[in-house]
Order: sequence, then structure tokens, then C-alpha cells
Amino acid sequence: MALRLVTKNLSSRISPKLCSASLLHSHATSFGFKEVREEEKSQMVGKVFSNVASNYDLMNDFMSGGLHRLWKDRLVSKLSPFPGMKHLDVAGGTGDVAFRILESVNSIKRRALQDPLNDDLQEEIRIYVCDINPNMLDVGKNRALEKGLGEDKSLVWVQGDAEALSFEDNSMDGYTIAFGIRNVTHIEKVLSEAYRVLKRGGRFLCLELSHVDIPVFKELYDFYSFSVIPRLGEIVAGDRESYRYLVESIRRFPPQEKFASMIADAGFQKVEYENLVGGVVAIHSGLKI
Amino acid sequence: MYRTVVNRILLTKNTGGGRRCLLRFPDLRTAVTSSRFSTTTEPQTSPNRPLNPADSSTSSSSTSFQTSSGAGDIPRQERKNPPAEYQGEQARVLQASLRHVLRLGWSEEAMIAGAKEVGISPSIVGSFPRKEAALVEFFMDDCLQRLIDRIDSGEELQDLIPSQRIYKLVRFRLEMQAPYISKWPQALSIQAHPLNVSTSFKQRAMLVDEIWHAAGDEASGLDWYVKRTVLGGVYSTTEIYMLTDSSPEFRDTWLFLDNRVKDAFDLKKTIQEATYLAEAVGAGMGSSLQGFVGKVIQR
Repeated sequence: MALRLVTKNLSSRISPKLCSASLLHSHATSFGFKEVREEEKSQMVGKVFSNVASNYDLMNDFMSGGLHRLWKDRLVSKLSPFPGMKHLDVAGGTGDVAFRILESVNSIKRRALQDPLNDDLQEEIRIYVCDINPNMLDVGKNRALEKGLGEDKSLVWVQGDAEALSFEDNSMDGYTIAFGIRNVTHIEKVLSEAYRVLKRGGRFLCLELSHVDIPVFKELYDFYSFSVIPRLGEIVAGDRESYRYLVESIRRFPPQEKFASMIADAGFQKVEYENLVGGVVAIHSGLKI
Repeated sequence: MYRTVVNRILLTKNTGGGRRCLLRFPDLRTAVTSSRFSTTTEPQTSPNRPLNPADSSTSSSSTSFQTSSGAGDIPRQERKNPPAEYQGEQARVLQASLRHVLRLGWSEEAMIAGAKEVGISPSIVGSFPRKEAALVEFFMDDCLQRLIDRIDSGEELQDLIPSQRIYKLVRFRLEMQAPYISKWPQALSIQAHPLNVSTSFKQRAMLVDEIWHAAGDEASGLDWYVKRTVLGGVYSTTEIYMLTDSSPEFRDTWLFLDNRVKDAFDLKKTIQEATYLAEAVGAGMGSSLQGFVGKVIQR
């Protein structure tokens, strides 16, 4: 369902099971189950997202039965944003996560207004929404206008690559990436960039479609992904291939434990993950000290 | 997490006073710490990164680690995982947050203010699974630690009879929360929340246990449970009484506490007397029965 952030994907040589991180540096990479060259991959993913951008929200709702809203809510509640926070939402072109963070902070502020003693909660939050695909960013900007947030200085839209962020070291309190890290070529690069830009005490949170291990549910889920979703994509968005890429790229993504150890290797502490809906999605989190 | 740090220090202390560590329930602490991980899985990773030896909290706890490894009753998994750096940082944040509790209450805001004070991004607050409960529990642990320190240093307790010791120890402990008395009802309500109640119950059990040990109690069997229940009752009622006490320096509270402790010891006497009476009655009945049977048989 919700995919974002364009670049490339994992290396092709990843066996579906565990593999050492060094293998991720190979020059052929995967586009779904197909193997392609790294350079082509980023263009192909870029095309996918340009294709789906206009129908993105509609398809998310269709494919997840609206659940993706709850997952994003859960992500933001795990983040527990606070006033005065500087947050970076990578691969968040459509602003879904950013709007939720803003909403959550505004409700804290409203509460704080009733308490005159507590003036340090009135600081401005700043959310940087970073996405490599301008089409996705346009969707987000338009939605901000619709919500009446067009003039809001809290939201900053940046086009940029998650593997080479344009932000300074130790400048962010929080980092989220929702349904994006699956589409990048070098996961470790993205993780080390996240570690670099975060302050001490800053947190990394990643919401991603992951692996289901519950026996019967797994079969149902596989049937749903390979048979229903591409057809749904064809009917609703008129684009079967893009959605086939989506389900295949999910299978290519490292399983929860493996991804958690990659996060720890990037330097994060207190690495945890939480499975939602039996592992259809997982929220990984890490703390920089 | 941060509590394991405290716990480990606790455990080292215990091995010092051999008698104590036998009677205390060490597995309770594992239960407290492991219950945290019930919903989320935490792969204990970062094997390739050495812990920073300069970090004071890490090094102090790793020494306690070695000293305590001789005692057989230390939970195994704690020995394997020395506290990570972040636990020390979390503890620092909580410690600093306590200074903001009077102004902001036992709340996320206080924790945010605490994190800002120690120069860490307030984002770290999100890494506590049950935010304000973590703060209250940290405070409870901290108080227990201070109480133990005081007991260990304690000349104050030497010449006292058990009831006076109990009175004194409960008073020490309650005096520690006196500065927070205006916000303490909030802390109690957090502790009573269904998600937190098991931890707070265990913490109270540990506290009561500590007090009985310090009072020189070596009971076992049913008496053990009775004593702890009674003292738990005395402690909690006094704690509640304290909330509404407006007398200078909580004079009424201490009077109330004194009376409750006396009641408790009277109760003990009453039970003892009742036992003696029962024994005497039993003996009397027995002998008369014996006599009666004897007479019957003689005939």
C-alpha cells in the first residue's frame, strides 16, 4: 500500500532469509522480484511513484481498509511529539505523518494554554517533510492548502534524498520514515544518515510493511497481496505493474529481527519493534545517545 | 531499564549483608524488569560496539556486576546484559525531572523539562513505555535506595525496640515524599492505574520487606505474610492520612503513625495471647478429657 520515497531497493542477492549487511553493497539490485541495475532502479521506482501519486490516498484506503490511518496514528503516538520539536519526516511526501504530528502538538498546546505557568510549551514546532519525488511533495502541499495549513511555518517541504540528507549533524529531535525505507537502495546509508542528523536523545521511528509469520493468516495475506492488490490497482488506479512492484518489494524487505539489528548497527540504542496486525506492518524504533 | 541499574546496585548491597539477601525475594525484581518487555520485543543488540568505559554509570554498575556474581540468586539474564548507556541517560533525565514535578506534576511536561535541563533532546521521553509511571516508579526506587542507605549507615536504629524502629523507618520514608505532597495524590492515581498497579504493588512489597528486615525480623512461614500485610496497611493508611494533614511538619501524621504501629504490635500481642489461651484451653480440655476417658476405662 503506502509506498513513498523513491530511490532504489535492496540488493538482489539478499536471500529472503538473513544475510550479512555486506551483501547489500552489490551493484545489481531488485525491483520487486526482478533484478535490475542500481541506476535503473531509482528511475523505475521514480516512475512508479509518479504514476501512483494522484491516486495514492485512495489506493491506501482501498488496500488497507483504512487501517493505514490507525498505523500512522500509532506511529505518532509512539513518537510523542512535543512543542518546540524539530522533526524530520522522510519519504513523507503526502504529509500524512507530518499533519498528524502537527495535530498532536497543537492539542498539547491547547491544553497548556489553560495553564499560564507553563509557558515553555508554547514554542513553535518545525516539521521538515523530505521526499525525493516532487510529484508526491505536490500532493502533500496541495493537501496542506486544503487543510488551511498553506501559510503554516511549521511545515517545511524539502525535496531530498534519504541517503544524503541536506540537514546538519545533531539538528533533529525526531526522525520518522513511514512506508519509505523499503524503496531505497542502501538501507544502511539511510540509517546512518538518520543517526547523523539526530540530536542526543533523538529518536528514529520507522513504519514499514513487514513479514507475517502466523500460519493461516500468512497464506491469506499472500493471496491478498499477489492476487487482489494488483487487480485492485488496475481497477482503481489503472496501473497494475506499480502495485505488483509494491507487494513484491514488501517480500524483499528484511524481516523484523534483521532490520532491528541493522538499526542497532547504525549506532542506535534501545532498538525495539512492534508488530501490528500480526506483522503486516511493524514499527521499529531506536534511540540515539 | 533504568530500574535495573538501581536494582543492580541494590543487589550488591545485599551481598554485603549476607542475611538479608537470603530473605528478600530476588526473583521479584526479575519479574518487575521483564514485565516491561511483554508487548515489545527488544533484541539485545549492539555487540560490536564497546560500552564507553568513561561513562560513570556503566563502569560503576559493571563493578557491582562482578561483586554480585558470587551470590547465587541473581537473575541470569541480568548478568548477561550490563545496563546500556541509554539507561544511564534515562535515569539522569528522570532525576532532573523530579525537580520539575512540583511545578508541572508527575507528567510528560515535567519529563520534557527535565530532559532540556540535562541537555538531551526531549524526544527521549517517548522512549519510556509508560511515561509518567516511569517517573513515579523511578522516584519510588530512588526513595527505597535512600532508605536502604540510611539503614546501612544507621546508628539511629541501634538502641530501639522493634516497634520504634518500624515507626522511625516508615517516618523516614514518608518524609521523603513530603516535598511532593501537593502532587502526591496524582502519583498515587498513576500507580493505581491498571497498567501500573502490578509494578507499584511490587515496589511497595519491596519497601515493606526492607523495613521489616531493618527492624530485625527473621520470621518465616505464615507470620511472614501477616507481618508484611499489617505493615503494608499501616504504611498506606499513614500515606493517605498525610495527604490531608495540614499540621506543621506533619505532626498529626506522625502521631497517627505512632498509634497505628502500636495498634499493630498490640494486635500481635493479642494474637499471641489468644494462641496461649487456646493452648491453655486445649491443654485443660485435654486433661479433663483424659481424666474422663481414664475414669471410663477404669470402670
